[in-house]
Amino acid sequence: MSAALLILLPLVTAIAIAFAPVRLARWIGLAGSIALLAVAAVVAIAFGHWTDGQFGLVASVSAIPEIGMSLSVGADSVSLLLVLLNALLMPLCVAGSFTAISEREREYYGWLLALAGAVNGVFLARDLVLFYVCFEFTLVPMYFLIAIYGGANRDWAAVKFFLYTFTGSLITLVGLVFVAYQYSLVNQGWTFDIPALTDFAANSLTLKQQALVLLALMAGFAVKVPLFPVHTWLPLAHTEAPTAGSVLLAGVLLKLGTYGLYRFAIPMVPDAVVEYAPFIAVLAIVGVVYAALVCWVQEDVKKLIAYSSVSHLGFCVLGLFALNPLGAQGSVLYMINHGLSTGALFLCVGMIYERYHTRDMNELGGLARRMPVWAFFMGFFTMSSVGLPGLNGFVSEFLCLIGAFTATPDAATGYPGVLGPWYGLIAGTGMIAAAMYLLMMVGRVVFGPLREPRGHDSHGHQAGALPPDLSVREIAILVPLAVFCIVLGVLPRPFLTAIEPAVEKTLAAYPMIVEEQVAIHDQAGQPGQPEQPAFAVSLTTPTAPSPVRTLESAVP
Amino acid sequence: MTASTPISLALALDVYLPVGIVVAMAILFAVFNLIATKLLGPSRSGQTKGITYESGMNPVGTARKRFNVRFYILAMTFLVFDVEIIFLYPWAVGYSQLTPRSPEATLFLGRIMFFLAASVVAYLYAWRKGVFRWE
Amino acid sequence: MTDVVAKLQTLVPEVTLLVGAVLAALLGLSRRKQVRDAVPWVTIATLLAAMVAVPFFNQLDGTTAAGLLMPMLGGTFKLGILAVAVLLCLLTVGLVDRRLEQAFATGRAPFDAMRTIRGEFYAFFLLSITGLSLVCSARDLVWLFLALELTSLPTYIMVALSRGSRRAQEAAVKYFFLGAMASAVFLYGFALLYGATGTLVLTDMRGTFALQASTGGVSNLAVIGMILTVLGLCFKIAAAPMHFYAADVYEGAAAPVTAFLAFVPKAAGMLALMLLLGTMGWSGHSMIVDSIGFRQPIEGLPQPVVTVLWMIATLTMTLGNVGALLQRSVKRMLAYSSIAHSGYMLIGIIAGPTTGLAAVLFYLFAYGIMNTAAFAVLAGLERRGEEIESLDDLAGLRQRHPGMSVVMALAAGSLMGLPPLLGFWGKLYLFIAGVQAGHVPLVVIAAVNSAIAAWYYLRLVGLPILSRPSPQSETIGNGLSVWPRVAGVLGAVGVIVLPLLLRPMFDTAALAVSGYAKADSPTAPAGTLAAKALASESLASEALASEQESAD
Repeated sequence: MSAALLILLPLVTAIAIAFAPVRLARWIGLAGSIALLAVAAVVAIAFGHWTDGQFGLVASVSAIPEIGMSLSVGADSVSLLLVLLNALLMPLCVAGSFTAISEREREYYGWLLALAGAVNGVFLARDLVLFYVCFEFTLVPMYFLIAIYGGANRDWAAVKFFLYTFTGSLITLVGLVFVAYQYSLVNQGWTFDIPALTDFAANSLTLKQQALVLLALMAGFAVKVPLFPVHTWLPLAHTEAPTAGSVLLAGVLLKLGTYGLYRFAIPMVPDAVVEYAPFIAVLAIVGVVYAALVCWVQEDVKKLIAYSSVSHLGFCVLGLFALNPLGAQGSVLYMINHGLSTGALFLCVGMIYERYHTRDMNELGGLARRMPVWAFFMGFFTMSSVGLPGLNGFVSEFLCLIGAFTATPDAATGYPGVLGPWYGLIAGTGMIAAAMYLLMMVGRVVFGPLREPRGHDSHGHQAGALPPDLSVREIAILVPLAVFCIVLGVLPRPFLTAIEPAVEKTLAAYPMIVEEQVAIHDQAGQPGQPEQPAFAVSLTTPTAPSPVRTLESAVP
Repeated sequence: MTASTPISLALALDVYLPVGIVVAMAILFAVFNLIATKLLGPSRSGQTKGITYESGMNPVGTARKRFNVRFYILAMTFLVFDVEIIFLYPWAVGYSQLTPRSPEATLFLGRIMFFLAASVVAYLYAWRKGVFRWE
Repeated sequence: MTDVVAKLQTLVPEVTLLVGAVLAALLGLSRRKQVRDAVPWVTIATLLAAMVAVPFFNQLDGTTAAGLLMPMLGGTFKLGILAVAVLLCLLTVGLVDRRLEQAFATGRAPFDAMRTIRGEFYAFFLLSITGLSLVCSARDLVWLFLALELTSLPTYIMVALSRGSRRAQEAAVKYFFLGAMASAVFLYGFALLYGATGTLVLTDMRGTFALQASTGGVSNLAVIGMILTVLGLCFKIAAAPMHFYAADVYEGAAAPVTAFLAFVPKAAGMLALMLLLGTMGWSGHSMIVDSIGFRQPIEGLPQPVVTVLWMIATLTMTLGNVGALLQRSVKRMLAYSSIAHSGYMLIGIIAGPTTGLAAVLFYLFAYGIMNTAAFAVLAGLERRGEEIESLDDLAGLRQRHPGMSVVMALAAGSLMGLPPLLGFWGKLYLFIAGVQAGHVPLVVIAAVNSAIAAWYYLRLVGLPILSRPSPQSETIGNGLSVWPRVAGVLGAVGVIVLPLLLRPMFDTAALAVSGYAKADSPTAPAGTLAAKALASESLASEALASEQESAD
């Protein structure tokens, strides 16, 4: 019930905005988003499954029994944390758009709230069709937000964004329907219940089928994340989107991709994941390094942050496909941290853009002299994004890398290790590069001699609307994000304990794979043979010792 | 592959005898007429007799002469009703062989009534459309 | 007698439509303007009356329609047809005789019954719907052929009547000649099917084919006949390789008639395909599961027929979508999109009962609604009496016609298959059916095609709502009649609201074709080969008995 409220409240608000007088639109939007945050907070406090990884808030209404579709919702700790992230960002986005958006306001705030509802729907769905409907529906508000309120090249950006994600997710749909069909073959009836299908697919599909399903899932989710070869829509969409659009795009929409991988790819097709995780990890690492290098040569601050998103999300995927609880925990935490710090960075850039109407680093410099408060926040969130110990980014990045490092075939984790130190090492260079390009950006824009765009008379032509430095409203937007960055950096323990059981449940199929391999080898009675087990594919590190030790150490 | 369901072709040809006689009579009638006119009719030849239309219309010039569209409409209307009348003959023959007041007879009557009603509607339509008006 | 009466009872909706057609034709010739203006409303009233009559005279227990291949089809799908027809009829209000009526009204010309065509137009409209409705209850090939022709012949004339321009005349002639050729092709197919089975009755054909299949396979003659039939019907549904006419004809006709062409003949063709392929039976009844988990048919539709359908479906989707990408005219774009949608629906046709056919019916209905809404925008707006056509005309429509821009966006979104709009559910249903029947590659092709389609549908969403008005679009005003726009709004509301009624609609669609599966079960009980062999044995013995009888 309360889960349904989390989905419906923003949607109802959106409809209300569409029919309200124009001047009330922003206030209704703000009230609705704050109400959403309040509901989410209450739900989170009352939530009883923070520590056991079970699903709570479960509710279900049968919709179309013929194909086993129902409107069922529910949340485990991971879902709820992501819902909270979404609910936190939403009022900030609404409040952050007050001065930036001056035309077609009703549509703007309506679409923002509709987006919030759809995103919550994705995180809370327990039915595949509901998940897919919400997943696809997020495209619509974002398409309009970019195409109406975006920059000069907005049409092309919006279309590219839409087509990339739409194409991918259609193939994902076919894959998921295939799973449901296989279920119907065995169980004499259709269902789209996600837990049921997940259990079924993990246990009953052959490796070949799982590989096909994994391919279909990656088609949709990899585009959304975005992974390396299909990331090109992201910088364009980010550069052209209005500030709030960028914040939500980076903050929650990209998480739909990683969440999809976490919720579907990992638990649904474990055998195929073990087989192909190295390939995906390589793509993630290429993304990390390549995007970091691209960041280095950017002149546009926003584009730089957009590419840094590609790089950061690479870590997230790497942690996920390390296939051990450490990496996965880091990955989930990374989803939240990236939403906070990158979202905040986009807000900061948006505030600059509103004042100077440029984001070109050649035209901006030394803004600390003009805007000391803004400079503080910019520096702070950059540090958070870089991964400075003590701030939030560090914890999750560290966990992801540890996950990858320890995912060697011989680690006594009980989980199949298919990555290894080399993966961690190469990805780690991305961290160093991140420090360099982000700090260089801060150095050029924030510090040094003051440099403002020519013709700018220190007021801009919105002189009446905006003070030179941040207004109270803008500070109020950034402070909550900063507070959460510190909390997550200093006290990650409660969050990690909440995530851990859920993650272990998601990874439940993997220890069994190890046990099966051990059992096969024991039965074969040739424990000394240096035979390659199925999960240790050729891409494992050259330094990895003989996999036999894995098996021995994995036996309790 | 398997043969299609056998359709009996062993039809007794004598069933078609009346049809054959009618066809033969038609041919004979035509041939007889042709020969008879050749033999009996007076025949003159000359330049005027040799032109296409004896009525005097000169066929010189384009053959694509346009007639008033009313000719066509009227001709079509005539044809439609004429052909409809033809259907009544076989119906009448069949009807006379049915038991009076039997369900079959009623059904038979109903069918032709529907047919006639359709003709009446067509007639009404043509009338309202102004097909019969010549102005 | 009672037999005939019972049969006639199932046709009460069609008879109602027929009476309406006669009324429309006569009332259109009245001297009084009010009476002439009432003709569209008489048409709509007739459609509604027929709709009311359907549940009374087409009982869903199948008793009134015994002996049909799909006995439930009439009682269910006719409702959908008539509902879409009401929308289509609203679209045409104020279309025909516009100049002439103005001349009559201003006194520039005296009333001349010979020149008015409104009554005829609506009569043809109703006759075409009658034909479509008759296809639902076709018992044999002759009935099917006549019903199909009754559906098509009026449309040829409607194209010519729809507007006075030469393009419409050209389109009509083109449509007529190609249509006649297609009819010849499928009539030849019918003849071969008759030759192969010795019967015209669909249920008997089904028995004969089952017998043939169990004794060495369906005869080659029947396979060739079926392929020719399918190719001929491709014209009706505007599928490759008979799709070439679509763009020209759709462009030439006035927008309301184009919407009509995109639904009525297509629905007739799809229903005919269902009935005809139903005589051979689908592969859905005895299957083996191969190593990848796809079900492979043991027997059913002969492989050549399946291959041809596969090729048609793939080509149709691809050519339709790629063709639409290249268009600058909205009508041509929608024409190509109509081709592509036929391709999607063919997936359901290939998948067969029950899910596949139900999905086709549902999709037809959904397509009728959303396509009509899209055309309503073109029909409801105009520039100095001329239809709007090019994409530039739509640019920035929001500024002056906000309502129509939203209608266009919703219709295009639904055609694209964007959740949660109506079109998405149709597509999902088709995908499920396709995967269920083991045609996963075909479904993947359809998914990729849907993505291609998104590209041009996005233009239809984006241009009206997002772009600046172009110089052309500044001069666009509302059409003479408000009703096309009302139809557009109704369609758009349907696109949003109907997904709430998803369950009853899916149920109805499944019910519509359930009669086929039921009738099927005695001859081929789902599954075991043994049962199937038994059934064919009993059929064979029956055939033997009848032979003996005839010998006696």
